[in-house]
Order: sequence, then C-alpha cells, then structure tokens
Amino acid sequence: MASSCSQALRHHVCKSIFFLLLLLILFIFSEEIVIPKKKTWSKEAVLQALASTVKRDPTASDYRFQDDPYLTPKTSSEFKLFSLSQESGRNAAKYFINTYPKYFQKDYAQPHIPCLMPDTLEAQIEEVSEAALIERIGMRKVKAAVDLYDQLLQAGTSVSLDVTNQLLDLICFYGDHDPAQENVPEQRNEETEDVQDEPQAKKGRAAKASDLLKATWKEKNNAERIFALLSEPNKHSYSALIRGMVKYGAYSKAFSTYTDLLNSRLKADMHMFNALITAAPEVKEKYNEKWELIVDLLKQMAEQKVRPNLLTLNAVLKALRRCGTVGKSQAFPVISEMKALSIDLSLASYTHLLAIFYKPGAPIQGQTDILQEVMNEVSGKSFTPQDPDDAQFFITAMRICLDTKDMEQAYRVHELLGVGENWRLLGNDFQQNIYYARFFSLLCMMENIDVMLKWYRDLVPSVYYPSSNVMRDLLQALDTDNRLDLIPQIWKDIKQLGHANRQNLVEELLTLMAREKHNQEVQESFAECALDIKKIYDTGDRGKVLLNWTAGSLSDLISVLLAAHRRQDAWDMLKLFKTHNRVPSEELLNKFLMCVKEGGEVNQAVELVQISAGFCLPGTPKLIQRVQQEFELTEQKMLSDLEIQSFNSE
Amino acid sequence: MFPTCCRIPNSALSYSSVISSGEDMAGAAGGSNALFCKNMATSLVRKTKLLSMVSSQLNSAACFRNIHCTAACLKNRAARIRVAKGDKPVTYEQAYHPHHIGHRKGWLSQHTSNLQGEDGAAERVVEDVFIRRFMYGTFHGCLADEVVIKRRGNLLLICAVMIQKLLPSKFYFLIGYTEELLSHFYKCPVKIEMQTVEEKVVYKYL
Repeated sequence: MASSCSQALRHHVCKSIFFLLLLLILFIFSEEIVIPKKKTWSKEAVLQALASTVKRDPTASDYRFQDDPYLTPKTSSEFKLFSLSQESGRNAAKYFINTYPKYFQKDYAQPHIPCLMPDTLEAQIEEVSEAALIERIGMRKVKAAVDLYDQLLQAGTSVSLDVTNQLLDLICFYGDHDPAQENVPEQRNEETEDVQDEPQAKKGRAAKASDLLKATWKEKNNAERIFALLSEPNKHSYSALIRGMVKYGAYSKAFSTYTDLLNSRLKADMHMFNALITAAPEVKEKYNEKWELIVDLLKQMAEQKVRPNLLTLNAVLKALRRCGTVGKSQAFPVISEMKALSIDLSLASYTHLLAIFYKPGAPIQGQTDILQEVMNEVSGKSFTPQDPDDAQFFITAMRICLDTKDMEQAYRVHELLGVGENWRLLGNDFQQNIYYARFFSLLCMMENIDVMLKWYRDLVPSVYYPSSNVMRDLLQALDTDNRLDLIPQIWKDIKQLGHANRQNLVEELLTLMAREKHNQEVQESFAECALDIKKIYDTGDRGKVLLNWTAGSLSDLISVLLAAHRRQDAWDMLKLFKTHNRVPSEELLNKFLMCVKEGGEVNQAVELVQISAGFCLPGTPKLIQRVQQEFELTEQKMLSDLEIQSFNSE
Repeated sequence: MFPTCCRIPNSALSYSSVISSGEDMAGAAGGSNALFCKNMATSLVRKTKLLSMVSSQLNSAACFRNIHCTAACLKNRAARIRVAKGDKPVTYEQAYHPHHIGHRKGWLSQHTSNLQGEDGAAERVVEDVFIRRFMYGTFHGCLADEVVIKRRGNLLLICAVMIQKLLPSKFYFLIGYTEELLSHFYKCPVKIEMQTVEEKVVYKYL
C-alpha cells in the first residue's frame, strides 16, 4: 500500500518536474513575460462604455420631453412653450415645498441629499449681530444686509473689515438691488419699487437678470456710502467698489476711484485691473488713446507685480475689438506675450480674435487664413467654460463661415461641437437657433442637394426647428439643383413646422411648382400639394383668414392643376378670381383654353370667353377668335360671341 | 351583549339567563317587586329553554363559527369585475383576474423588496399607494389605466398612460410639478414616462 502510494507520488512528482522543465525551456526560448500593471477603472467606466455605443437619435425630440407623438413639440414655439410649462410646474412644486417645509423634513436618503430638502428662505438669526449679517450676506439678501449693517453701526458695535468687505462685495455684485426671486411670486411687488427708478423697466415686471445688467450705478447708493464710512478701506474694498462701478456702467467713476487708491498708496489686485481694462474703451474716444490707456494699465500691473490671468487677456482682446486698426496690429503681440506667461487661450479669446479681424458687415479682404489658423489650434480639443463670452464662439465662427462662404471651416466648427464637453458651450436655445440657422443657410448656398438633405434629415426637427427664411433658402437650393420633385415633401415639413401661414413662403412654393412642366407623376404630386395649399387659404376657422389670395398665387395654383389635367378643380378655382377681386392673366386663360380644347367642352370655352370679357381683358378678341376657330360652335353661341365681340370693340 | 357568533358551552347557559335579563336583582326593594320578579322569572325560564335548544342543535351539527377580529378579506372578489349585462367597457388590466398575474398580466409595481433577504416591502407598498392616489388626483380624469411603478436603483419611475384630455403644455406643467414634488418627498429622483391615447383602450365589454 505504502509502496503504491509512494509510487503514485513519485509519478506525480515526476510529472510536475517534467512540466516545470518544459516551462523553463519555454521561458528561456520565448520573451520575458511582463505582468502588466493593474488598471483601475472609475465607477462610471461601464456606463461610459455603454454610452459610447449609442449615438444621437435623429428621430427623437429633446431629452426634456416625453416620447409620445402628442407630447412632442413640432415647432420652435411649441418647444419653448412645453419646456417653459414644465419649468413652471417645477417652480409651483418648489413653492409648495418651501411654504410647507414640515412635510418634507423626513430624510430617507443615505447619504443625505441636500438639494432635495426644502430651502430655508428666512434668516434664522434674529438679533442684531455680526453673525446675523454674515448669514444675510450668505443668503444674498442685499437690502436686509444693508439695513442690518446700519443698525449695527447705530448700536455702536464695530463691524470687522472682512465682513464689511463681504457686504461691499454683495452690494457691488448685485448693484444695490435684491436678486430676482424666481419661485416666490408675491415678492414681485416689492422689487418693482427698485426697478421703477430705471427708465427702461415697465411697471409690474419682476426684476430679471437682464434688468439688473441694464441697471445703472446710482449716484449716492449704499456701496459708496458704506465705503465712505470705512476708516481704513483696504484693497479688497476698493476692488469691490471699482468692479461694481464697471459692471453697472459708471466708468469714469471707476477710474477716479482707482486714482484714489493709488493716492492712498495701496496696491491694486488682478480683478481690479481686469475691470479697469474692460472700462478703458468707454472712457476714451480715439483708438490710439484707448490702446495707450490699456498699455498704461498693463504696465502698472507689471510694476505692482500682479500676474495677469486668462480674464485679463480676454478683457484686453475684447477692448481691442473696439480699437479698429490698432486692434488688428496689436492682437497677436498681446497673445504671444500672454502665452509667454503660460496663459492658455479659451474659446472667448478666439471669439474676440475672430471678431477683431472679421468685422460684421465689412468686406472680406483676404483674411480667410485667420479662421483656418484658429480652427487648427482649436480642433480636437475639449474646452471648459472659463469666461462668459465662451458661448459666443460657435455663433461668431459660423457667422464668419457664412460671410466668407467657407464650407470646409464650417464643417470643422461643427465637428468641434461634437468633441467632449463642447456642446455645453453652444449657449441657450436662442443662440443654438442662430447657429443652426447660419449653418443651414451656408449648406443651402454651397452644397449640393443630397448633402443638404442628409443634414436636413439629421438635424430637423430633433435639434433645430428651421425658420421660414431657412425654408425659403432650402427651396432655392432645390431650384438650383433641379430637384423640384421634392417640393411636396418639403411642403409637409413646412406645414408641420407651423410656417404654412407665411404668405411669401407659400407664394414662392406655388411659383416654383407652376414654372416648368415635369413628368406625369411629379405633376400629380404637385396637384395634390396644390389642393392642400388651397385648403390653407380657404379654411378660416371662426372666420379668421390666414392667407390672402393674390392674382399671382391664384394663377400659379390653377396652372399646376391644369398641368395635372384636373380640369374640374381648376374650373372651380377660376370662380375665385371674381370673389376675391383679382384679375387673371392672359396666358392663364390661354392655357385654360388649350386644356378645354383637349376636353372638348364647348360650353366651357364660351364661358371662358365670357369671363375674359367680364374682366375687360385686352386679349379677349384674340381669345374669341381662337374659340371660333378651334371649336365647332352652334348658331346660338356664335351669336352670343358676336355680341361680345361687338361689345368689346366699342 | 353576547356576540352573535360565539361558541356557548352548556355550563354557561345557567348564567346567561341572569345576564341577559339585564335586571338589577340585587337592588330589589320591598314586596311590591315580588310580583314583578315572578313575571320576570317565567320569561327568563322560557328564554333559557330556547337558548339551550338552539345551542344543542348547533353543537350536534358540529358547525360553529370563530371570532373574526378584522375586516373580511374577500379573496374571491378582489380586483375582479363580474360579468354583467354587456355594456360596461373594461380594459385589459381590469378584464383579467389576479390569478392571471404572471401568466397574462404583468405586475403593476416592480421592486426588489420581496426577494429573499431584502427588507422594506411594507414601506414600498405604502409609497405605492400614496403615488397612485397622487397621480389619480393630480391628473384627474386623464388616467387611461393603472399607473405602473418601477424602481431602478435609486430612481422611481412612474409609467402612466393618459387620455389626450389636456393640452400638451398643461401635461408638461403637471409632469414637472409631480416630478419635483415627489422627488422632494421621497428624497430620490422621480421620473415620469407618459404615453397618451385618444380614448381609454377597451378590451371587452362585460
């Protein structure tokens, strides 16, 4: 037993030795086995990998909306209406949550989710103290904070410089108004009192962000008052004041405050310089003076050993936009200096650069390579928002492509939109519309119809709802490329987009359909389309008339119907000339006569002549002649004809 | 007094007569009550005889009822619409009875609390009831069928089929309102997936 066991064991050991030998041999004769480093994946790696397999669905609408045909917006106004109504529903819910917070206090979530708790809108600390002031500053209540500060001073307690600086920051940022409270409707009445000082504000309208930016720096406002009360303002206080003044348009005051700062031997900081550079083009008139002021400020910045940052560069470039030819010469040196200081350009810098060299409306003078160079620099990179003007890059670039008719650069710009996070920098819905309108106009102008239609099917209506101007450009592109047979499909899209009530668009459509003769099936589809258009003209629900007939549109419609041999419909339409007081043209009646001849309806021919006589058209005698020649008339009809002839000759 | 469905042992019957009369025998004062008491006694004897007869019959047949302390859960009648004249429209969900769940019907509420080792089933049920009432009230008259509630991780997904009774903008207002309010209430993201139909989809008429 033992021997057999040991034998088996030996056998086993032999085998393993043999195996090891084999491995060793392999090891010697093959390359070294390198064990790779362990790769760590982020928690969302699987989700990101799955997401990369799915591309945008061109048949679906925006992610905000429900996936149902009844609930999908079909026009741009519906898009706006639905997204705004969803948002207002959310605001209504937030109102209830914040008004009755006791029902929403129970916390199920582990870990705690702070954004799903009700907001505390009222200040907690009631007594007059510095902590209460800090709380109100944190809650952005400008008026309450200023009142509390005054109370503190009256009570005799001194407020520390830091807290006063924070208060100054708050006032200067909001321009001495309370920020707009979106979710609480009844507070609107209080805020209109502030806004009524502004000349632009209408009564009863809540102070929105746009109002605040248009708001001006009032003469003796709280910021200056509190600043004056400070015994030893430090550079933070000066900085807050100057930045507030520049933000709200008191530019010369900002510069005088800056001279005060210099006189009191304090040093300025970077934000202050940025604000002053922004204000520089406003205080001087001539290009040279503006540039000298900016250079002066930059020199002082260097003296005071303040490092510039990206916002400094962008402020300089933005100011150079208003410096005309000086801007063109100085832009690149500025950029190279800033690059030497290792400041990376953001999309806003490129925007300003493009705007300096491509002024809107100015003739292009062979500066097309700047856009190309910019695109070379920018392609393939993903940008993060660093400056509010970053959102202007795409629409500026697309405007320039449209002006210079550069299709290649336009494709590169559009490609950049797909890189990484750049889609966030396209801006809000309004800017998105502008971008796509420009892109489409360029496509219609430059590309052939198949490429155009490919883009059309990809982007419309999931991303972009074209305006009626863009649809007209599309029709012209169809015309140029001789693809007028696609008109009925485009008409369906026009109806769906809600542009069916635009007079000039519909008339252009009719003109294009009526102009030439096409083959039979195309003419049939045109006739269907024409009858559809007729319905738009006729149906005025509740007596409201959407479109008015003109002579041209009526003639075009009848020509289309005649070309498809729809004689009865065309005959009905002819009656409309009388009812709408329009005069048919001669050629239309000639065409009609030809069609009638094919049908051989003598009565209709005579009626045609009578209609022509009724309108006192100059071509009536010729028409009569033709009828007499081409038709076999009975005696009665000949008599009536002669009557008409004699009547006309008088 | 006595609950009607109580098992009465014979030995207690002797006391039953005393209690059932409800008279205060201890407080009988004076001889004027003597005649009164005699009348009472005869009626009592009759009642006791009747009661003993009935209970003996009941005992012999060995059919007795136990005490119910809760409301009756009529398992045979829950969620079933009985066949009637033939003019009542009924949806697919209503037409099939609960024993068809898993065979011809799906589940209206999907969560993992009923798996082995998972807890929180009761809380999920309470949440579901609240959500169904909330949807019924908020989208009043618009619901075409029962609301389906799905839970995926943290997300609460409410799937509803609505009749096209309101304008789409009004639907979106109510969707935004519901999502926001329920998210804040349950401290988890709540999403609504809505589908609309022209009218209630009738499966058959019962």
